[in-house]
Amino acid sequence: MPELREGEKAICPRCVSPLLSNPRNSLHRTAALAFASAILFVVSNCFPFMTLESGFRRSEMVLWQSASGLAEQGYPYLAGAVSVFILVAPALLIGGLLYLLVPLLWSRRLPGAAFLCRWVLAARRWNMMEIFLLGALVSLLKLDKLATLTLGASFWSFIALIICLTAALASIHPRELWARLEMPKV
Amino acid sequence: MNAFAPESAAAHGLALCHVCYLATPVSAGRCPRCGLRLHLRLRESLQRTWAFTAAAVILYFPANLLPVVRVESFAGDTSTTIIGGAIEFWQQGDYPVALIIFGASVVIPVVKIIAIVALCLASRTGRRARTMTRIYRVTEFIGRWSMVDVFVVAIWVGVVQLGNTFSIHPGAGAITFAAVVILTMFAAMSFDPRLIWDAAAQAEDPPQL
Repeated sequence: MPELREGEKAICPRCVSPLLSNPRNSLHRTAALAFASAILFVVSNCFPFMTLESGFRRSEMVLWQSASGLAEQGYPYLAGAVSVFILVAPALLIGGLLYLLVPLLWSRRLPGAAFLCRWVLAARRWNMMEIFLLGALVSLLKLDKLATLTLGASFWSFIALIICLTAALASIHPRELWARLEMPKV
Repeated sequence: MNAFAPESAAAHGLALCHVCYLATPVSAGRCPRCGLRLHLRLRESLQRTWAFTAAAVILYFPANLLPVVRVESFAGDTSTTIIGGAIEFWQQGDYPVALIIFGASVVIPVVKIIAIVALCLASRTGRRARTMTRIYRVTEFIGRWSMVDVFVVAIWVGVVQLGNTFSIHPGAGAITFAAVVILTMFAAMSFDPRLIWDAAAQAEDPPQL
């Protein structure tokens, strides 16, 4: 594998898949975006996501209630799957990135880094926040005909969270992450 | 299985770690960087892919026939299936939403299952290897979007709590549909696209790029 200068990208000559890219300031940028994601994740989970009003009744939904509602209605496995996709996988991604990247800024490596890195990379495909957002927009259109729906603070921070976390993951390549974890004293 | 392209790393006994991408002689047993077991190709890739795909095909029928959601209101109960939801949006004139739901819930799962079957077959013949690899990458990327309908149900159930003038209950279609999406994701994960290139190298004529 050739050494890449910043901003360069390597492509497989046989199947033309991207192999490796070397975005600028990858470490600092990813750490900053992961930190922003962590704050947004807390905000998204503390404030109501949507509020529904019909007649005199008013109900607020916090993000995790979209999972717990399913469990209350007798679908615990579906509730588990939904909470993995929108809570557990994002939390693992954000927490894991911070645990790996912040020490790397000082060329350090905390115990269990290799094990955690494996889980962080696996969590990427199970993080489905952007799909959940599309689902939220669809249900908004649907329920709007039955009752009055208003979007809460969490909805907007959730959008920002998706942007930050996607950017964080795009600004470091897994191969670079592994290479840096292997050689902490660079 | 032992025929690798002569210029490939596998032909030289080098295995790429499935997790951390370090190339190491396969005789080392475990990856020196992350500790994972080394294999030249994903283990029992085709068997696993076929098994997950078959399970997804079987569950695809209840996922589409059983209702995903039941709405109870003054007007009575209405149950909706996945396709029924898309048709309802279409009838109300929300064409873009109807198309998104139809695309994500009906087209993508079917296309994904067909694509995985085509990939499994291509890993025997090695024909059109580059196109097939591209199909693999697209398949892996789009499959997750089918989950949108499950999230719609989750949000409805979460936001409409008991005591409202109407109530919403999830149906068995929702969990079987989620299972179909998860199974096709596992099927795509267990498929090793390098098998197509191995077959292409094994075929007598040179691979078509």
